[in-house]
Amino acid sequence: MFEIFSSLLKYIFISVIYLFIFAIIRMIYLDIYSMNARRSGQNLPYIKLINRRDSLEMKVEESYILDNNLTIGRAMGNRITIADPFLSGQHAVFDISDGSCSLKDLGSTNGTFVNGKKLENAPVVLNDGDRIRIGQLDFIYVAGLEVQK
Amino acid sequence: MRVLKYPRPVEMIVLVNAIGFGLLFFYKKPYDYFILIAGLSVILLVGFGYFAIRKAKLGDGYLFLISGMLSSIGIIMLYRLDRELGFKQIVWFGISIAAFFASYFLYRRYQVWERLTCYYPAISLFLFVATLLFGRSINGAKNWIFIGKFSIQPSECIKIIFVFFIAAFFNKYKEEFKELTALRFKKEDIKLYILMSGAYMHLGLMVIQKEWGTALLLFLVYFMLVYVLINNRLFMLINAGMASLGGIGGILFVSHIKVRVDTWLNPWKDIAGKGYQITQSLFAIGSGGFFGTGIGLGRPDFIPEVNTDFIFSAICEEMGIFGGVAIVLLYFILAYRGFKIALYTVENFTKTLALGLTLLFGFQTFIIVGGVIKLIPLTGITLPFISYGGSSLIVSFIALGILQAISAGPAAYVTRKEKLDGESK
Amino acid sequence: MENQNKRITHVMVLICFLFLCIVVYLTYFEVFVKDKILTSSYNRRQWEQEDTTLRGSILDRNGVVLAKSTMDENKQERIYPYGSLYSQVIGYNSKAYGKSLMELYYNNELLNIREYSSIFNFKEKLSGELKTGNNLYLTIDHKLQEKAEQLLRGKNGAVVAMRPKTGEILAMVSKPDFDPSSTKLAQNWEELIKSKDSPFLPRATQGLYVPGSTFKVLTAAAAVENGMEDRTFDDKGSITIDGKIFNNFNSHVYGNLDLKSALAVSSNVAFAQIGSELGEKVLKEIAVRVGMNREIPFDIPLNSSRFPYESMGKTDLAAVGMGQGKLLVTPLHMAMIASGIGNNGIIMKPYLVDRVVSSSDITQKSVKPDKFSQIMSPETAQKVKDMMQYVVETGTGKGAAIKGVKIAGKTGTAENELSSKQKNKEHAWFICFAPVDDPQVAVAVVLEYSGSTGGALAAPIARDLMRQVLGK
Repeated sequence: MFEIFSSLLKYIFISVIYLFIFAIIRMIYLDIYSMNARRSGQNLPYIKLINRRDSLEMKVEESYILDNNLTIGRAMGNRITIADPFLSGQHAVFDISDGSCSLKDLGSTNGTFVNGKKLENAPVVLNDGDRIRIGQLDFIYVAGLEVQK
Repeated sequence: MRVLKYPRPVEMIVLVNAIGFGLLFFYKKPYDYFILIAGLSVILLVGFGYFAIRKAKLGDGYLFLISGMLSSIGIIMLYRLDRELGFKQIVWFGISIAAFFASYFLYRRYQVWERLTCYYPAISLFLFVATLLFGRSINGAKNWIFIGKFSIQPSECIKIIFVFFIAAFFNKYKEEFKELTALRFKKEDIKLYILMSGAYMHLGLMVIQKEWGTALLLFLVYFMLVYVLINNRLFMLINAGMASLGGIGGILFVSHIKVRVDTWLNPWKDIAGKGYQITQSLFAIGSGGFFGTGIGLGRPDFIPEVNTDFIFSAICEEMGIFGGVAIVLLYFILAYRGFKIALYTVENFTKTLALGLTLLFGFQTFIIVGGVIKLIPLTGITLPFISYGGSSLIVSFIALGILQAISAGPAAYVTRKEKLDGESK
Repeated sequence: MENQNKRITHVMVLICFLFLCIVVYLTYFEVFVKDKILTSSYNRRQWEQEDTTLRGSILDRNGVVLAKSTMDENKQERIYPYGSLYSQVIGYNSKAYGKSLMELYYNNELLNIREYSSIFNFKEKLSGELKTGNNLYLTIDHKLQEKAEQLLRGKNGAVVAMRPKTGEILAMVSKPDFDPSSTKLAQNWEELIKSKDSPFLPRATQGLYVPGSTFKVLTAAAAVENGMEDRTFDDKGSITIDGKIFNNFNSHVYGNLDLKSALAVSSNVAFAQIGSELGEKVLKEIAVRVGMNREIPFDIPLNSSRFPYESMGKTDLAAVGMGQGKLLVTPLHMAMIASGIGNNGIIMKPYLVDRVVSSSDITQKSVKPDKFSQIMSPETAQKVKDMMQYVVETGTGKGAAIKGVKIAGKTGTAENELSSKQKNKEHAWFICFAPVDDPQVAVAVVLEYSGSTGGALAAPIARDLMRQVLGK
């Protein structure tokens, strides 16, 4: 009896090990892919998520590359769309000019916070390492290479 | 973002253990419920380690997974061979995981490692002398020290100390080494020779202990490190030449080595005597076919030293050539991750350390697997994570822990990452 | 640092390559190599097959069962109906002591072990049917084997009878022998192992003896080939070559001899002279031609006959010419040489197994006679044949004569390491074939350390054996 079990299960056993290998390779590949994507945009600044992704209910990326006139909010049509109920439809906008990046609140309900301070109407220039809070999300701002000096 | 469509590696490890231990449960009557507990403990240990690393973001996510899978396969195989050994290996596994995390934190906490350049060879010598004085011979090689009921193999530790030594030494004199474009046999080059003598001293210790496999391993690691760090052709030629001389001398004059080379070339001449080990290994590997005979259906008990050196043959017999290839792939991915960590490390000492540890894994695996399948002559070293042995398993996980620590450390943006890790707890 | 990183990738490629080698080698091994080695009898996994397979029988050419297995409740027993008669041909098959001779070398056929047998046996595994091995039909003629054993009883040595035209072995007896059944083997093992007589040595194939005068047939052939056919010799009873004295048997003086007579009386003086005249090159060459120093393929291990000379002085040449010196031959090889001379100078490959037949009577393998070596031209062979016939008609081989049959033979009384110190320790040899015009059988007989002469002791054994074959 055991003989038959083992003879049959051996195929499954081997398959599982190969599935494992496949899964690992796939994960590595995805990592490289997003790394490359980031590297091609390495000169560009980006924001990196601090919260633990599994503690969040909505879909959020680990990081978002920033561009000029990049809006962030809950509604479709934003450059960065996140289904966070604490985000307004159009919550804030990033602006890149003269080699610096600034963040402006677009009149959001719950506000936009940089380093703990709530943004008023005026845009705030972001520095490398600044903490941004939008809705439930905490981000850290990473400056692009040129800006970094 | 949950990717349910694709399998998560950690789930695969759970499955492998479930199938493996499930089969082992039915293997022998009377049914031993302890096997199920054993399987469960392996799953829990791997799970704990994995989630700890993931949640606390302790660096590379793959290293532990791969070694977890390797260890699981090893434990299943060892359990199948001998219940007691399997159980002991699970205990060693648990201790190793503790050692893994311990070395991770210790390495990161005490940033002194690159300054201990002179201490490393001293420790190696000390361990060597201790083995000489207190050691006992097993299988012709005097390299075990018994403390009460437990035996440890100091030569395993010397491997890691060796890598630390080269990394520290090179880091200390990196300016001088940078200027080296040609070997001038002048006073400036003395650092090179000190490095060389330090390295060869370690090799010599291994040779004296008749640990040919480890000596070969250390030389290969040393040689590759020299290639990467000091790209000086003449120096490399000198080293290659010395090694060749040593090798040829060994083959000609050391009967032990000559026997190994002879049985590698033609083990069929003396199947019952000198060629016994390797021929039994080949019989086993051949008996498995591509998918193996199935766990418990082969006769790996016919293989000598099956718990340590020839465990790979047993795996090939019962899990097939595909099983053996899968394991080689796993080691390769492990090495790949190690290389990647080395590539992305900026700081000199850590970079060399990561590279050296990766090379230890890579070459060690190649040497022993190559030996048991008769690709190269057989040497008596262990297969990392799979062979039975507390020393082997713990030291492998310590090396892995250090590698893990390096991976968690400075990539491109150092301080920010550490700040992140610290604050996200 | 960029350079360093580049070199790190080089090293990574190296490791990748090394691992690739492992994968490729494993695959290569699995596809090409493993089948050749898995069936080695040192692979104990094969023994598992044994318990689940009924071992095949071994039969003589007419179907007489010489070895068979019975299965009694999962316990197999190997039975040898004729006891020790075939112990030096078939060997034994014992769990405790292993296998020998044919039981060893034809193990895979007897157990029907083939590649992928696990696939073929799945059906039996499921239904629990017993697997059966294949049966071997030997070339041996049981009645002849019995006769040969009878003739050799009480002495140590070997008798080989074979068919010159095909190479079939009709009878092969080596003494001493032993009872190969498991019980008797267990009982007697210690004694057998320690015995000075080496009962486990199959003399016919593994025994190496000084050929003595039987070798002279080859010296004569070489003489014919090198223009010495019409030479005459003045045999004064002894001859001194390079300071060493070579005597005839009992220092007998034969006076004037031609080649034919010299062989008939087996004159050491004449042949020592011929040897020294022929020279190293010629003697070595014919030795190799007939198969000395060469591996001869056979169903069970056959020792190579030895011509172990690097350079030869005159005394070596003389000794070799007489068939003494360092020459060593196996009885089977001498039978082959006799066969070759009888078969127009062509030695056929010797073989024991005629065919392998499955339990359902399907022939798995059938052996065809094949040439081993052309040792001399048909003309030379004819001349040597004539001389050997003369030996039996008028010379030392009269003991082998059969009325109404033309027999060709040669006696030998070989000096060996014992005979130089004690009396009556020579090996007594006789080789022959008959009938001369159409040889049906070739025989070689050697009686170890028996003293006396080949003509007196060995020739009559050969005669009685040939009588049975030829039906006279």
